[in-house]
Amino acid sequence: MKKITGIALALALVTVPTGQALAGWKLVSPAKSTAIGKSTFSVTAGEEWNRNTYRPIKKAELWTLDGLGLNELYFVTGLIAGEPLYRELDKKNKPLPKLGKAMQLTDIPDFFESSQRVALNTSLFQLSGTEPVKFAGGDGVRFTYEYAVQGNPMKYKGVAQASLVKGQLYLISFTAPAIHFYDRDRARAEAIMASAKL
Amino acid sequence: MLIKRLVAGLVSAALLVQPVAAQVSAPAAPVSGPATTPASVAVEPAYVPQDKMERGLWMQMDDAERELKRSPLVIRDPHLNAYVRSVLCKTVGAGKCAQVRLYLVRTPDFNASMAPNGVMQVWSGLLLRTQNEAQLAAVLGHEYIHYENRHSLKLFRDIKSKSASAAWLAFTGIGLIASFGLLADLSKFSREMEREADMGGVALMAKAGYDTREASKVWQQLREEMDATAAIRLTKSKKDKSGGMFASHPPTAERVAYLSAAAAEQPGDPAGSGAASYAAAMANDWPAFVDDQLKNNDFGSAEYLITSMAKAGWSDRLLYARGELYRRRAGDGDLDKAAGYFSEAIGAGGVLPELWRGRGLALLKLGRSEAGKADLNEYLKRAPGASDKAMIAMMAGGSS
Repeated sequence: MKKITGIALALALVTVPTGQALAGWKLVSPAKSTAIGKSTFSVTAGEEWNRNTYRPIKKAELWTLDGLGLNELYFVTGLIAGEPLYRELDKKNKPLPKLGKAMQLTDIPDFFESSQRVALNTSLFQLSGTEPVKFAGGDGVRFTYEYAVQGNPMKYKGVAQASLVKGQLYLISFTAPAIHFYDRDRARAEAIMASAKL
Repeated sequence: MLIKRLVAGLVSAALLVQPVAAQVSAPAAPVSGPATTPASVAVEPAYVPQDKMERGLWMQMDDAERELKRSPLVIRDPHLNAYVRSVLCKTVGAGKCAQVRLYLVRTPDFNASMAPNGVMQVWSGLLLRTQNEAQLAAVLGHEYIHYENRHSLKLFRDIKSKSASAAWLAFTGIGLIASFGLLADLSKFSREMEREADMGGVALMAKAGYDTREASKVWQQLREEMDATAAIRLTKSKKDKSGGMFASHPPTAERVAYLSAAAAEQPGDPAGSGAASYAAAMANDWPAFVDDQLKNNDFGSAEYLITSMAKAGWSDRLLYARGELYRRRAGDGDLDKAAGYFSEAIGAGGVLPELWRGRGLALLKLGRSEAGKADLNEYLKRAPGASDKAMIAMMAGGSS
């Protein structure tokens, strides 16, 4: 059962589908520091988010306000070289890119893009607006993106921030339908990114 | 292992139904009128659904087509659409191609399909892999034969009748074993149809004046590409297996062999590969399709495709693609090679701003920071509106 949950969620994550996770949900208390994946990486939310009790990969968490298909926060804490950004559903035929040893901040948007393209099996993925930012108390990168997937007429938009500390990746991405949800919830998501601490 | 095989079988069964069920969910872009169909050509009537089951299917397919029409993945470029349609019309004849509603879809895999209601989809990953017009004609002819001979309808009926008995057998406790036989049967049935479509495609090519030897080359190239993927991933090549990217069209040795034999019997026009017309028609879209491949995390396949395209000579675009491929992988020696490819493109008069971006980033990692920063500043000068301007300016040392 647990395995099925994992697959369903991993699909949910990358295809941003229904959000009907079999795993449970817990409310995140607003205005209180919340540790991600029991690590030292923490954020403070301005409102009550729903935090999934299932972790798509060991070092990741999924949060949402109304359902993963509508507004999705993906947190990654301390990914090391050789690890993929998402759960690999088909290691043999569709291996995901792995974080590289020599990667720098400028490589992170490319790593993110390539991971998404493979996971979503799409070619319609466009990065935009890459810029330096202070993230979790250090140098980071912020980028925005848009994509669409086959068999779904919706367009999705997203924004992410990330940093590399001692070669480990810390990242928060926010993805939502371009219609309504992205604009409505983006500020709340970015406030959470701005609150990140290590 | 048993379970694994069963799952694989079920997946391929699902794929077999795809011609009916999934194409229903996929096709879409209305293509500008076939300029190649003069008004005087008699348009052949399309097949009309004959019974309740078929009418139901047609309704589903029409729904799916409506959805496909709105899909952001459909390639709207009128030139590319008109070109692919012109190849289709030349291959199957103007009267028949009027039945086909063609949709080009931006997806990096090798695939084309045709639904019983006349919706044909061709994926960008296929357009990147066919190397000339004759090869494209081979694929379009193949799909048209599936349609004309109503293969997917037959498959659907076959699956429907067999799955009903399998459902009954499931109650008896031997369902699991029964479904193995069922799946084996199905794939044999579909293999026969594939062969029929291949042979019919060669006949169409010959009639249209294409070099029919190109048909087997399509599959030979796919086999080589699969070997290239496997060599880099240190896995076994899947060229003789079904599944994965080529699930519905396995490029087996047997297929290459019988297509070569058919070409010897019906040569068509040995000078009719249409390489130049194909290259001209694809010129605008190739960079984007190649870019899709670079970002697909399949180094072996991308390197194979880039070097295949470079047979006619290395353009700055191709050198850029190869440079990016190596820069992104950044394994032992890769950054030096990447910098070399970018330099070669610049030396040959390349003006793409990203050449300097790529070389600058590679040089920075190689510890040649002065040269790297100079390149990044050159990139910013050449692409003042770049979306990564702020980030690159920081890497370039604060100047912009």
